[in-house]
Amino acid sequence: MIDKLLLKLRLRDDIDSAEEEALRAAVAEQRDYPADRNFIREGQELDASTLLVEGLVCRYKDLRDGGRQITALHVAGDFVDLHSFTLKRLDHNIMTLTPCRVALVPHARLKEITETLPHLTRMLWFSTTLDAAIQREWELSLGRRTALAKTAHLFCELRVRLGLIGLATEAGYALPLTQAELGECLGLTAVHVNRTLRELRERGLMEFRDHEVKILDFVGLARAAEFKDNYLYLEKRPR
Amino acid sequence: MARFYLHVINRLGTARDEEGAELADLQEAEARAIEGIRSILADEAKAGRLDLDGRIEIADESGAIVRTVPFEEAFEIRPGDDRASGRSGGR
Repeated sequence: MIDKLLLKLRLRDDIDSAEEEALRAAVAEQRDYPADRNFIREGQELDASTLLVEGLVCRYKDLRDGGRQITALHVAGDFVDLHSFTLKRLDHNIMTLTPCRVALVPHARLKEITETLPHLTRMLWFSTTLDAAIQREWELSLGRRTALAKTAHLFCELRVRLGLIGLATEAGYALPLTQAELGECLGLTAVHVNRTLRELRERGLMEFRDHEVKILDFVGLARAAEFKDNYLYLEKRPR
Repeated sequence: MARFYLHVINRLGTARDEEGAELADLQEAEARAIEGIRSILADEAKAGRLDLDGRIEIADESGAIVRTVPFEEAFEIRPGDDRASGRSGGR
């Protein structure tokens, strides 16, 4: 259940068996949600953090007029709200984008980890700082990149992030998102996303059809996006 | 609710909407089309280009085109003051 989380942590530093055991023991409960389920609402009191075991989840914020910004996408093995451990309520919503399996990790057990396992604590801290690094990159996309560049960037990022957990190859990956949902990640309308995807296809960089991403030219796609994977901190070192 | 498809056609060709969206009625589809045109052309304008030669074709579930929204319909276009008053350059 926590295998994909371990995979990602071990890519960045060693996790010993005591730490692995503590993570396994921290999970209290598993839940399955259908797609489009808003399972954590803004302001709700929280006493557990949620680890995504399977599926795709987003963090989002809404405006009164119905405008929605997805501020983060989470893939299997990500904690979707490790930050709720210290925040206790969230300033945003969390919703499934596909059918999902999640694992609940009570804050009391996280507290125990922070008091007994300092290195594992730092690794969990690392994962929230990694979330922040990804958010900075999205901010650059939303504020500065063109529609084409930010769309290309999102597809590059997901190829790397899904690749780490064995869900993407050089050739592509499954991405069960609609163009409207992509638009909510990118600050674009669905119509604009459609147009932008056509341009990416015409340039021979990638295709997105029927929830499948086909990467035709990753180097070209990364160049169009100005994508550098340094913000994903893929190097293994003592932390 | 009904499914509508919004195909974008401009000088560069056609971007067919294969996915469509569940919308309340044709009016909402038109609003989405207008919003989409504004978003695309705003992006182009940032690159210093504004090509109003284009349209969005709204198709219903059967694929029949039920409405065409020319790009121009998404904007209120006013010429610059200099041109409107016949003055040329300078102040």
